[in-house]
Order: sequence, then C-alpha cells, then structure tokens
Amino acid sequence: MRRATQDLLIGAVFSALSALLSKALFLDTGATRAPDSGQALPAPTWPALADSPPRVASYSLEAKLDSERHRISGREKIHLLNRSNAALNELWFHLYLNAFKNDKTLFLRSPFGAGRSGDKAKEYGYVDVKRLIISGGDGRDLWPTRDRHSPDDPDDETDLRLPLPSPLEPGQTLDLELEFEDQLPELVERTGYVGSFHFVGQWFPKLARLEPNGVWSHFSFHPQSEFYADFGDYDVALDVPSAFQVGATGSKVSESRAQGRTLLRYHADAVHDFAWTAWDRFETRSELIAGTRVQVLYPPHQQRNAEAELDSVRFALPHFNARYGAYPYPNLTLVHPPEAAANAGGMEYPQLITTGGPWYSTFGGAHFIDVVTTHELGHQWFFGLLASNEHAEPFLDEGINSYAEAEALESRYGSASVYGAFGLSVSSSALNRLFSAARGEDERIAQGAADFATFRSLGALVYSRTATVLETLARVYGRQRFNHALGVYTRRFRFEHPTTADFLGVMRDELDREAAATLSLALSERGTVDYLVREISNAPLSAAAGVFDGPGGREQKKPEAPHPTLEYASRVVVYRHGSLQFPVQIELRFEDGTKQTRHWDGSGFTFNVDNVGPSPLESVNVDPEQRILLDDDRSNNWASTRDSAAPHFRERALYAAQLLLGAVGP
Amino acid sequence: MSRLDRLAPPAAATVLLWISRTLFGLLVSYPVFLAVQASSMTAGPDGDAGLFQPGSLLLLELLRLSGPWLLGAARLALLLLGLSALFELVPFAMALDMLRLPIRPLRQRFQRAMRLFPSFFSLGAIALLGQAGILLAASLLGAALRPALASVDERLRTLAPLSLIGLGLIACGAFGGALDIARATLVRRAAHDDGEGGARAALARALFCLRQRPLQVLVGLYPSVAGSALSVLAAAWLLTRFVSQNSSGRALALTFGLHQLATLFALAWRVRWLGTALELSAESD
Repeated sequence: MRRATQDLLIGAVFSALSALLSKALFLDTGATRAPDSGQALPAPTWPALADSPPRVASYSLEAKLDSERHRISGREKIHLLNRSNAALNELWFHLYLNAFKNDKTLFLRSPFGAGRSGDKAKEYGYVDVKRLIISGGDGRDLWPTRDRHSPDDPDDETDLRLPLPSPLEPGQTLDLELEFEDQLPELVERTGYVGSFHFVGQWFPKLARLEPNGVWSHFSFHPQSEFYADFGDYDVALDVPSAFQVGATGSKVSESRAQGRTLLRYHADAVHDFAWTAWDRFETRSELIAGTRVQVLYPPHQQRNAEAELDSVRFALPHFNARYGAYPYPNLTLVHPPEAAANAGGMEYPQLITTGGPWYSTFGGAHFIDVVTTHELGHQWFFGLLASNEHAEPFLDEGINSYAEAEALESRYGSASVYGAFGLSVSSSALNRLFSAARGEDERIAQGAADFATFRSLGALVYSRTATVLETLARVYGRQRFNHALGVYTRRFRFEHPTTADFLGVMRDELDREAAATLSLALSERGTVDYLVREISNAPLSAAAGVFDGPGGREQKKPEAPHPTLEYASRVVVYRHGSLQFPVQIELRFEDGTKQTRHWDGSGFTFNVDNVGPSPLESVNVDPEQRILLDDDRSNNWASTRDSAAPHFRERALYAAQLLLGAVGP
Repeated sequence: MSRLDRLAPPAAATVLLWISRTLFGLLVSYPVFLAVQASSMTAGPDGDAGLFQPGSLLLLELLRLSGPWLLGAARLALLLLGLSALFELVPFAMALDMLRLPIRPLRQRFQRAMRLFPSFFSLGAIALLGQAGILLAASLLGAALRPALASVDERLRTLAPLSLIGLGLIACGAFGGALDIARATLVRRAAHDDGEGGARAALARALFCLRQRPLQVLVGLYPSVAGSALSVLAAAWLLTRFVSQNSSGRALALTFGLHQLATLFALAWRVRWLGTALELSAESD
C-alpha cells in the first residue's frame, strides 16, 4: 500500500510538472525578424489624408427580421449623385442574394463547388424587389422595366439593368425608393442562417459602381469573386426579436424595445457596404483600442477566443494605423460565428469583420485566431478605405492585405507568426511561399477573380504569391523603404478606388523603377525566378608550362606538380532561370574556414564567381539570407564539395523513432 | 557475469532497453533519413541545420520538393516500426528476466527470451486486438453521441467524445498493465522452468489480478505513463530554453544528450513498473 501511495504521489508530481511545461512550451514564441537590407530611413513624410470620400450612392434602409422563416422585409432609399462625366441612361443593380436562388445561378451551378467554402446551398435564398419608384416622380413602378436576367446569362439574376425614364446628367441627383423581401439561404458563404444565427451580408438591392467615365462596373456574382461599390452614407434601421443581440456596420445611434421586438438604428458615414448579424446566443465584449470602440460578439464559452481576438486588435490596429494611416471610424465590430456557421467566418465588411475557429483555437501553439483577425482587420484598409475592384483585380485587396497581415504578425510573433510551440516555429512568409512556389507559372496574378481556373489557383496566386512577391521586394529593397512606399499608396488613395496602375505607379515613384518593373512582371506576366548553382571547380595553380617566346629566345617549361603551398583557382557558375531579376548575394566558404560574399545584380543569366586564394572553395550559397522568397527552388541554391551526413535530421529522426517505439512497442 | 550484471538490476534492464530502442530507432528512421539526405536540401554549407531554422522555410521547402519520396520512406518506416516493435519483445523479455534473476549470462537470458517469444507475441497480439476494440468502441460511442449533443454548446460537443476516448485510453492502459503482469508471470515461470500453462493461462491470471487489484495496477502504471510525458516535455522545454538552434556541433551534442536522457528517464520508470508487475504477479499466485 505504501508503494501505491508513493506511485500516486510521483505520478501526480510528474503530471503537475508536465502541465507546467506544456503551458510554457505552447506559449513559447521564439522571435527572429526577416532580414532587411535597407538602411534606416528618417521619419517618414506622408501624403495628407483625405477626410472623407466623395459620396456617390447613399442608402437609407429599414429591415425587419423574421427569425423563424429567416426572411427580411425591407425598404430602401437610394440617393445617387452622378459624379461621372457622362449622362446616365440606365442603372445597374447587384442582387447578390439571388446567387443562392437555385442550382443554375452562376454562383451555384459549378459541379465542383468552385466557391470559397466549396459548399452548396441546402436551403435556397433570394431577394424579391417588390417596387421601385423615383422619389418625387409620378409614382410609377419602374422595376417591371428591368432586364430579367444578368447579361448573356438567362439563369442568373444577380446583375440587372434598369433603364431610366430620362437621362441623369453629370452633377444631377436621383432618389429612388424600393421595397424588397429577402429569403436568406442556409449559410452558404458569408450570408444566411444556421438555426437562430443570422449573418446578413449582400442583402439589399445595391447599385453597381459608377466609374468616372459614366460606365457602370457591374458583374454577375461569381463564386470566386467579391465586391465593388461606391462610397456613401448608410442609415439603417433594424427590427429584430428582443432576445437577439445585433452587430452591424457603423455606430448604433438608437435602440428601443416594444412588443417583443428591438428597433436599432445604425449610421455609417463614408463606407461602401453594410452588413449585420443577429443571434440570440451572442455574448459580447467591448473595449476602446487606439481611439476606436471595438466590440466582439462571440458564442457562449468562447471567452478565450474573444480575448485572443481583442488581443490581436490591440496589436494590429495601432500597427496598421501607423503603417497605412489612421482608421477613420469610431467603431469596429468583430463577429465570431458559432462552429455550425463557420462559413460566415473570415470575411470583411466596412467596420465589421468576421473571424472564426473552434473553441480550442487558442490551444496548442497555432496562431489561427491571430491570423484570421489580423487578416480581416487589414481589409479595413485594403478593401474598406482603398475600395479597389475586387472582382477585376482581387490581388489589390487580398494580395496586398496578405502581405500586411504577414508583416503585422511577424512584427508581433517573429518567426512563429503562424505556429510556435514545442521548439517548432512556422512563419507566415514561409507558409505563403510554400503555397505560392508550386503555382508561379499557372496563371497571371493580376487578373479577374472569375478568370482563375479554380479557387485553389486564385488562393495560391492572389493571396500567397502576391504576399510572397511583396515580401521579396521588402527583403531585397529594404523593408523600411517598401513599407514606406506601401504607406504612401494607402494614404494617397484613401477613400478612392485604386487600380493596378496606381499601385505600380507609387512603387515606381517611392521604391525603385527596377523594382516596379519586376513587380509588374511578377503580377502580370507570370514572372518567376530561380537562382541555382550546379557545381564547384577547384584547381591548384602551378607555374605556367609550355613553349614561351621571350626576348631571350624560345623557352620551354615543363609542367610541375602543384605545391601544397600554392594557391587555388576556384570557380562557381550561378545561373538565373526565369524572367524576374533581383540583385543577390553569393556566399563562398573555403576549406580553411574563411568566407567571402559576392554581389550579383541579377542581370544576365549566368554569373561566374572566380577566386584565387590559398584555400580551395568548399561551398557556395546563393542568397544565404533568404531574401528572394520567390526563388522557385531553394534546394539548388547551394553546392558543396563535402557530402552532408545530415546529423541534425538523423538525431531528430532517431528520437522520433524512439518515441514511436515507446508508444507502440512493449 | 555480463557487464550489465555489474549494474543494479533495474539500471541494467534500463540500459538494455535503451540500447535496443536506440538500435531499433536507427533502423526505423533510416528510410526517412535516406530520403532527406537524397534531397538537395541538406547539401548546403550548413548541411541540414537550415531545416531547423526558426520559421521553417527550408523545412517546408523540403516537404514541398520531396513530399512523394518522404511519403514512400515514411510508409517503409512504418513497416519497420511494426517489425521493430515485434522484435523488441526479445530485449523486453531479457529486461524482465534481469529484474527477476539478477546475475545470469546474457546468452542464457537471450535463449530464455527466445523461448518466450511465441508466448509474448501471442500476448501482444491479444493486447493489440483488445486495445483496438476498446478504442473502436469508444469512438463509435462518441459518434453515436454526436446527434444527441447537437443542441449543447460547442465545447461539450467536442469534449464528450474526447472524454470517451480518454476513458478508452485508460482502459487500454489497464489492459496493457495486465499484459505486463502476464509477461512477468511467464518470465517468473520460465525462470523456475515451470511449464505450467502458456500465454493464455498467464493472461487469465493477469486479468484476475487486474480484477482483484485494479487500483494497484493503474497506480503502479501511473508514474511510468506520466514519466514518459514529462520526459518528452522536459527535453523540449530545455532545448527551447537553453540550446540555441544553430548548426554547431555543441548544440547538436546537447540536443542528442537531452533526447537520450529523456528516453532513458522514460525507460527507467517503465522498468520500475515492470518490477511492480513482477511483484503483483508473484502476489497473485
């Protein structure tokens, strides 16, 4: 019995120590920063920030949620100002919710589930416009005059043209009144319901973006695409059952309760979309961070996730404020959907982002919550304030934002920005490179979302490869310089709709002409690069032999055996495959332990590295600091005259095998 | 008298098990090691040290470029793992013999272990089937519970099936403990040249012991299981805290030393349990 007590005590002590060590190990985040070749720069001078955008389309919305039937009855007023230089004869409406109307819509008809989640609708959703009139007009319902389907697509009703009874001249305004009824789908992608959880995005009839030349940028809702709209002011009244908690774009300006219903009014200035959520099981937290009231709505028992999300915002919001200009709105809402509604997670709307992840996301060393929160927060700039055309140029928001996310996470966690525990760390840059390296030549990065062959291709190229291209530029040309250039871009085009040309223009002006040319190749021409070394040559030098004609007549010298004290001629040829050109360092190591570093500006396709010295060359390493993350194949960046015994791997493999034998052996 | 016999029996048994585990470990890891060495990822100036750099850039590159070869090598390693686990029964029987009869020529121990091998193998197969059955039942029960848990919160929905698996693992542990007692019984009887009964009789006696003294079996196993977990965690913690991740020979030697100390520590507590198993076996006679 004494032995049993002793065993119990020893076991308990071991367990307690294991618990302590687990905590220490899984909170460990070793930190090293990616190399930065740039010199320290003086304090940056930034372009002046625009206070607010020119409004084109502003909306007043009223919505009443039937939480049992998952329907929304809505009224809508649109105030349109024709800021273009052309008269308008028609309007284009996005009815995004019709993407979920049946299996033949552009969104749902792919048999491969080409959307982000790959899921199909189980319960369908749609928006019915009941009436559309011009305010102050003759009261005639114009909606029956619309086109019945999207252009050239009789099965799709997400992109509809409405002829105007009379042209709207430049500078003139038009006020419209609509009534509509939404049937929300069971959650497919971002929008819909699961049980009593409702996430309501892309839910109201919305005008397409009016370009300055009077052309409407409109498109059918494609499963790989996101959105594009004009800035405006939103005033929204929401009527929900009183048991429901609501989160929405903008600031809540009033709340009242009557007859089991809650009426909430939200106002958002200078935004280009409005989304909201309602659930009777939300818990909430709120905190003032960097002058912004941040509210988190999360499922029961997910306090740890909510705290992790707030913690991410505590770091990332001031970080992005400094990098890309201050967040201009008073409110930010984070929505953590319940596990059953995971498809609502990881999405951005103005002043509202959705995160996600199971309740145990913060355990085990993975920074999943930080990754998704930081990414979606970054979209407040790369989508929210720089309202690029996400349909036509998705890399401008998702790609640049993926760089911003990785940069912020690595500033916070160093090399353990994605995972850091048990002595293993994985960085965002390494992961982005992993996803992008294999697909560099598949398709162009700078193309429309719907043009990508698959969403996996879009994901690898638009998100990961763009981030890898930009990280490579930051490492090669200096992170401070690159971040400064990106900061100029975000400030100069705040509250605008920048294009690829705008982005490249700022890079050319602020970073480097050569860098901008390389960037353009990488984005638009499937540019790739691979530096490689094939062999090392060493030859002992001896006195020259042969027949020599000199002033004293002809002399014949016989070859001599090389003397051990003689010098060695060494040669390495470094090759550059692919169309991209980056300056690169080449590290030489000699048998006597000395090192040399050579510099190749990357021009041409080969570079001979010659050396004469007392010691033979032992190894060569191209890009030893791993600045060129885009390098297609890092396994050919070096060569050595010695065979590697791989002792580190052998040691770890042995230990792993011993542990496995401990688990399955006797 | 062998060199091992100069040590105290538990120490000698521990060293014997460590030597066999290291040799089998080298065998199991060899295919994966060869696949990694064949990739050019280890041919750089720092050899394979870059694979373990913070951020894992080159480790991920290795997985990307050599994935199919590594997968093939891992399958072969898995096969070798199964075979090694089987042949580890021989040193394991020798270790039990050392604990039972301190001073004997190694060859004699080996011969006895070889004689016991078929019975040990049968017991191992029975244990494997039994433990697989327990875990299968736990996971099936967990799956059956899921619809009933649809309306409860997410945490409970995840934890309930996991708790069943946890209980299943405890049951597997108890079954494994009974198996060790059965092996101890076989070793004791072989030492006395007592041919009474085979694996089946030994297992029946061990299960009887488990029924009679379930707590003693579980509590006796507890330090061994907890010690194994502690050894892994402590080695990892010490390495992350005190050993720099560079390519130096010193860092490599320290890493190797710590890992092997952890292995020895876990084996020492395993051997301590085997001593208890011998005692429980004797008491249940």
